[in-house]
Amino acid sequence: MARVKLEHVTKRYEDVTAVDDMNLDIRDGEFVCLVGPSGCGKSTTMETIAGLTLPTEGEVYIGDREVTRLPPKDRGIAMVFQNIALFPHMNVKDNISFGLRLRKYDSEEIDRRVQRASDIVQLEGMLERMPDEMSGGQRQRVAIARAIVRNPDVFLMDEPLANLDAKLRVHMRTELQRLHKELETTIIYVTHDQAEAMTMSDRIAVIDSGELQQIDPPLVCYNEPANLFVAGFIGSPSMNFTPGRVTDGGFTSESYDIEFDPASLGLSPGDSVTLGVRPEDVYPAEQRASVSDPSMTIEARTDVIEPMGDEIFVYVVTTDEMEMDFEAAEAGQLLMSVSPDSTIDVDQDIEVVLDRSKVHLFDDETGQAICHGLSPNAQTGTTTETETEAGDDD
Amino acid sequence: MSTQSDGPLSRWADRSMKNPGQVYRAMFYVAAFFFIVTTLFPFYWLVVLALTPNQEILNGFAAPVPEGFNVAAFAQVFEQVPFHLYMFNSFVLATSTTIIVLLIASLAGYVFGRLEFPGRGVLMLAILAISYFPPAAFVVPLFDIFTGGSPVVVPFSELVFGSPVNLFTPPRLVNTPGAMILPFSALFLPLSIFVLTTFYGQIPDGLEDAARVEGTTRIGALFRVIIPLSAPGVATAGVLTFISVYNEYFFSQIMALGNQPQQWSPLVGGILSYQTQYTTSFNLFAAASIIGVLPVAILVVVAQERIVSGLTAGALKE
Repeated sequence: MARVKLEHVTKRYEDVTAVDDMNLDIRDGEFVCLVGPSGCGKSTTMETIAGLTLPTEGEVYIGDREVTRLPPKDRGIAMVFQNIALFPHMNVKDNISFGLRLRKYDSEEIDRRVQRASDIVQLEGMLERMPDEMSGGQRQRVAIARAIVRNPDVFLMDEPLANLDAKLRVHMRTELQRLHKELETTIIYVTHDQAEAMTMSDRIAVIDSGELQQIDPPLVCYNEPANLFVAGFIGSPSMNFTPGRVTDGGFTSESYDIEFDPASLGLSPGDSVTLGVRPEDVYPAEQRASVSDPSMTIEARTDVIEPMGDEIFVYVVTTDEMEMDFEAAEAGQLLMSVSPDSTIDVDQDIEVVLDRSKVHLFDDETGQAICHGLSPNAQTGTTTETETEAGDDD
Repeated sequence: MSTQSDGPLSRWADRSMKNPGQVYRAMFYVAAFFFIVTTLFPFYWLVVLALTPNQEILNGFAAPVPEGFNVAAFAQVFEQVPFHLYMFNSFVLATSTTIIVLLIASLAGYVFGRLEFPGRGVLMLAILAISYFPPAAFVVPLFDIFTGGSPVVVPFSELVFGSPVNLFTPPRLVNTPGAMILPFSALFLPLSIFVLTTFYGQIPDGLEDAARVEGTTRIGALFRVIIPLSAPGVATAGVLTFISVYNEYFFSQIMALGNQPQQWSPLVGGILSYQTQYTTSFNLFAAASIIGVLPVAILVVVAQERIVSGLTAGALKE
């Protein structure tokens, strides 16, 4: 068990910067997900922690030791790989005990530990099998057993569930959480699936183009995204964004206006901002009474309806003209989530309201969040920003 | 198409058009028979010669079967010269060379197959280019070095410093295995490096990473994971090297100053020693050749499965 710290870690290849000045401080026993689109540098970040890649600049600490130049075997880590990476020429038992045998444990101790590890991941009676005789889920469990058998300080998991089918993935997700509860080891988990990150982690580190965007508990990332990227990446379906401008009385765009006091947020009329609102914070106007801080009514027309069973996604078009090009349609479109018993139909005129306490404003130039919630009593984005900065400075 | 059955040939043609698989099978047997005959006939002829008494051979005989059954030739081989010593020499040379080659080629194959570094392509090309140099090009300088006494100097140092700068004076290695194993290892390395590079390059990175995280060094991962998984490639490189050295004559005949087994003269040197100034024992030549081939034949049969998969798998994804 150990804390993991990255200080100004940068990894440059000949012409690309895979990781750019990454600062992470992962606490002892914490479950942290590194999440981001593919190619964002999350795997490279993990490889620098593992020692499989040497950073161009910066230092890596595990526990109290600086391990930047230490080979992987001396870092007290274990890793589960995306392609599982069981040794195909060894049976399950030899795979699990590989690290123990290298460290010259006596055979009784090896047997005892292998037994315990295989019990934890439920591999009873499979120790003599070869990897190619097992299913994907079983192999994944062997890989996890191989990782836990050495009692490492830190677990690194590089998209361990990516190659499993959807049902098994959800199952293994809960298994991993149970495992984390039982072992209380620091786990660093790389995934491109924001749902995985949301459900499993204590904190999510959102990474884009090699830079850390935000590291916060899942709900903070969801409710108070630090910038446009995090806002769009976390949450499915993703947040509605409407580009527009600040006016004397609030926000205006081609499709709708929202009233608020710009001075209280330090905004001056004419500033260009993007308004973000999650689908569940858009309501049909007749539910206005139940919305905590409803905006002005927005005239719209329903376009596409996607019933999901537990909710219905309704795409509403807020600009007046129905005939328009794709990009304008994208900007003037709002995705609204309504309850499944709603009777909304396609191509129907509708009035919607936004919950102003759940509306986010982002600076167009920097992409940074200006505030989360526009009503005077709602909390502003300052908390998030200071937290992120604190994380950076650590 | 006519279906009339006016003769056995047209009936056969008719049948084979409807069922071409039959014809392909027939063609396969014909081709296989041809190759087997051309490959095995020389060996058969060795047996014929070995079993025919030398006098009959010298008198000239035309029969494709042995004139007589002189099994004694196989014993006479060992009575006339210590043939087993020549075999031992070749065996030792081949085994040591194979071990050295596999060891160095494994390290080189790892570097070429799995690491990215500037100049990799050029270096690999240089190794391959050198492997195409005729071995004869190296014989004179190597012989000069291995006879000992003449110091190795820095090239052109005489012109620069006025007097030659001596690096070291090599020991006298002629008539010892060293004079043969060193050049053999160098000559057969490129092929093995090439084979092993292909194989090691195909092992997924994740396996090596896993081994390193689990507690091996890079070299440990090479020996514990990469080499075991590349067994066909290692077997191929090893067997090719072993056979080449076992059959080698050119270098060893020069580096062994005489044709005696004590001078590390190889197998072929032993076979040729059945020819003296006045006699040529063709039957003993043949018998010795058969005996000499046996260990390699056994080796190939044992390693066959791996070699075949090794020679073909190199081009394909594992």
